[in-house]
Amino acid sequence: MSTQQKLTVAFVHALGITADKVSDDLTYNTIPEWDSTAHMILIAELEDAFDIMLDTDDIIDMSSVAEAKRILTKHNIEF
Amino acid sequence: MKIPTLSGYQVTLRPVGRDDIEQLRLWRNAEHVKQFMLSEENISVEQQIAWFKHIQRANNQWHFVIEYKQQKIGSCNIKTRGKAADIHTAKHFELGLYIGEQRYLGNIVAFAPTLLMNDFCFNNLQATALHAVIKAENASALRYNSKLGYSVVYDGKIVELSLSKADYEQSSAPLKSLLNRSPRR
Repeated sequence: MSTQQKLTVAFVHALGITADKVSDDLTYNTIPEWDSTAHMILIAELEDAFDIMLDTDDIIDMSSVAEAKRILTKHNIEF
Repeated sequence: MKIPTLSGYQVTLRPVGRDDIEQLRLWRNAEHVKQFMLSEENISVEQQIAWFKHIQRANNQWHFVIEYKQQKIGSCNIKTRGKAADIHTAKHFELGLYIGEQRYLGNIVAFAPTLLMNDFCFNNLQATALHAVIKAENASALRYNSKLGYSVVYDGKIVELSLSKADYEQSSAPLKSLLNRSPRR
């Protein structure tokens, strides 16, 4: 599975949305499914999928798919 | 007794001051906040000033401003439940919270104030149980409270939930581990 696919699956599982909705433009506050509980689940899904541990600032800053990619890139994950 | 300032999980809860109340009123009247309040009426300046005078005298409730990185992002409160007139002698509490700063709506940081208040209620005030009252259509708040270990005790147009210390400690551990990590390196 590519890193992009892993990222998409994490968002699909955490937010309960379909894969076609997962684009760089997807931002919290734009869909009702992305609430604080989904945000928490998303972080757990991403850490499991990429075997990383994020710091708290990055967890709180993860406000969009594009931002998730930027943060994951810091962990040497390429998209 | 002086209301304490609580810090942890990346946020600070400090007592509401006179300089805060207009910001709180604007947030409380904003659609994204008031739609989930039990009363959706707008609050006037005069009502807000009267409310502030009331909470300064009241012994059964504490109101806080939530700060994240020195920025106000919302408000939360602890109130006694039932007949208890003093927060120090009560054993049952009802907590309230809203995030006014829209940037942090739907963010995990919204759990931080509640973790702080819950810890304080169970560990410092020796609470027996915490309670929440939520509109049934507020699915996000119901999920939020479920994640913290709350159980539904009455399911109607208004949903009542209750939380024991044991359920809270078990349910909140994953959240605490995410919000207790070190700041950015």
